[in-house]
Amino acid sequence: MTNPTVENIRRSLGRTAQTPLSPRPALYKPRQPESVDSEIESFLGEVKKLSGVGQRISPAAIADALKALVSEQHIQKATVWDTSYLKQLGIADSLGSLGVELVSPNADKYAMALCDLGITEADFILPETGTLVLRSSAEKPRGVSLLPRVHLAIVRPEILRADMHQVFAEAKDSHYLVFITGPSRTADIELTVTLGVHGPKNLYVWMISG
Amino acid sequence: MSETPTYIGFEEYSEHVPASIPSAVQQATSRFVGGRAARVAELPQWEELRQIGSDIRLHTIENMDVYLTRLEEKVKLAGGHVHWAETAEDARRIVLQIAKAHNVKMAVKSKSMATEEIGLNHFLEAAGIAALETDLGEYIIQLAGTGPSHIIVPAVHLKKEEIAALFSEKLNIHAPADPLELARIAREILREKFLQAEMGISGGNFLVAETGTLVMVTNEGNGRMCTTLPDLHVALVGIDKVIPDWESLTVFLKLLARSATGQKLSTYTQFITGPRHAEGEFGPKEFHLVLLDNGRSNVLKDPVGREVFKCIRCGACSNVCPVYKNVGGFAYGSFISGPIGAILSPQMLGTPAARELPYASTLCGACADVCPVRIPIPTILRHLRRRVAEGDEFSKPSIPLPLRGTAALASVALAWNWIYRLGARILPAINPFFRRDGWLSGLPYPLSRWTKVRPLPAFSAHFRQWWNVHSAEQRENSR
Repeated sequence: MTNPTVENIRRSLGRTAQTPLSPRPALYKPRQPESVDSEIESFLGEVKKLSGVGQRISPAAIADALKALVSEQHIQKATVWDTSYLKQLGIADSLGSLGVELVSPNADKYAMALCDLGITEADFILPETGTLVLRSSAEKPRGVSLLPRVHLAIVRPEILRADMHQVFAEAKDSHYLVFITGPSRTADIELTVTLGVHGPKNLYVWMISG
Repeated sequence: MSETPTYIGFEEYSEHVPASIPSAVQQATSRFVGGRAARVAELPQWEELRQIGSDIRLHTIENMDVYLTRLEEKVKLAGGHVHWAETAEDARRIVLQIAKAHNVKMAVKSKSMATEEIGLNHFLEAAGIAALETDLGEYIIQLAGTGPSHIIVPAVHLKKEEIAALFSEKLNIHAPADPLELARIAREILREKFLQAEMGISGGNFLVAETGTLVMVTNEGNGRMCTTLPDLHVALVGIDKVIPDWESLTVFLKLLARSATGQKLSTYTQFITGPRHAEGEFGPKEFHLVLLDNGRSNVLKDPVGREVFKCIRCGACSNVCPVYKNVGGFAYGSFISGPIGAILSPQMLGTPAARELPYASTLCGACADVCPVRIPIPTILRHLRRRVAEGDEFSKPSIPLPLRGTAALASVALAWNWIYRLGARILPAINPFFRRDGWLSGLPYPLSRWTKVRPLPAFSAHFRQWWNVHSAEQRENSR
């Protein structure tokens, strides 16, 4: 079924429904990856430039790091993505033993908005921009990286991608994707940079390696 | 500002710009110009990216029917609804119908030029549905009841003291004049609204035809709130926002934030393909895409003017424009200001309604130098000046008769050598009446249109004489 807008576009452009698509102009060469170590360094460096906290942590040190985070940010309620990797790292269990109240990641929006901390696991990361790429599903709900005032994203060297091209090639069939590049920010009042205006004010990124 | 203007009196508006506007606007523009320059310097392939961006946008414009048809098919395949709005009125009616069908009492909005274009907020409010802007800057100007002064930082013309007074008055609270504290207050108030609202309304930065994906680029997170918390998401997007595929998208995402705010990427970039799949994942149960024509398909007729649709709304052209920096956004009288507004409004609203805008430029070309998709803005400005002066297929010439008469006389004088020479003999005779230090000021109408802003050099008949001598010397020297 055609509609007036499409027909009018064709009239204006002198085309018909049969006019073939002309070939799309060629693209540039995507960025090539450097060594894993230097990609990790670039990534964590960018996170820091964006006022996030990025660090390398070994699996054995996670419990201690969580303890430090909970005390530094006065975390009382937290919500954690229900993924096998986060379970394997024992994140929810560690929080529980620190006395933090755990809220289901599928809880309703009101309950989620009361959480101090949301923990996710990025699907991909981009070293050039310090970007986290998150998909969405029942196990990986969108609210966890958005509503709590602190967001902790767990990342691994295996999810490094050199450029957006690779991410899109692998993920363009997802029904929802979000790129997160630093904490929520605005400069709308007198150009004063303010973090956490609607989304999380604090962004932590832990690179699990070693 | 959000209703369709019938006439844009740029000259009159720009004469009444408060002094606070240029100073605030220039603080913003110099920040963005510096940030952009730093990001561009980091990227050796910047010029190559601009050219590819330009090529892809042009290709998309020239094949727009194919990509829009594909987009519609893919959005539907993903479980979304597609509505075509031929006019602003159609678009308003479609959004209202969706809202009424879902018993919506309050809608939260993320920043959208398309909703400004059709005056959606006032329309919904009149129908009893609250439409709340949630971008901090947009929220402030909605409270203040004014339009945006800058595309990226719409409330930059307001000082923190004014915003504090506004919050105190409208929200019935005590608000201190501190940007961080004001942002915290807005966060708390708007958080409640995000949770309550039954509908989220957004615009869109790009529409990817390949998969039917809506791409939204924001910094604050309000865009995510609007598309994550309510069960209903309506996106109102101009048909010019369509792009072929995800590969093309990489080019525009690399160009956009660097050109707009001097960031490598904005904080949040969302890629939304249809509604949520599972209840527990958040996101809307229903996704509606309203594709807005509102005159765009007619603008495509003009092969010179239609390049305006390459625009990715970064605002870089405004940030470098000497005219914009002195008058700010209001003077352009429409939802989009600056050099891009000066070439868009006359095409969308018709040359009679916006005939002053193509002249709101010095043609210095700074806009074209920074445009990430290489829109030839000065060329289009000159083209539109011609359309204003000589008429076009949509309207008759729309400059005042005395000016057209003067121009006609001038073209006669320039076409016949003897008239020109005669004028060159006669005109110096009037010099003593006007002459002040070799300059003429205060000439009668219509020449006063020139002399009211700058003096004219006194008439002199010596050019030919000078030229003969000078060119003889040149020939002598080159031997």
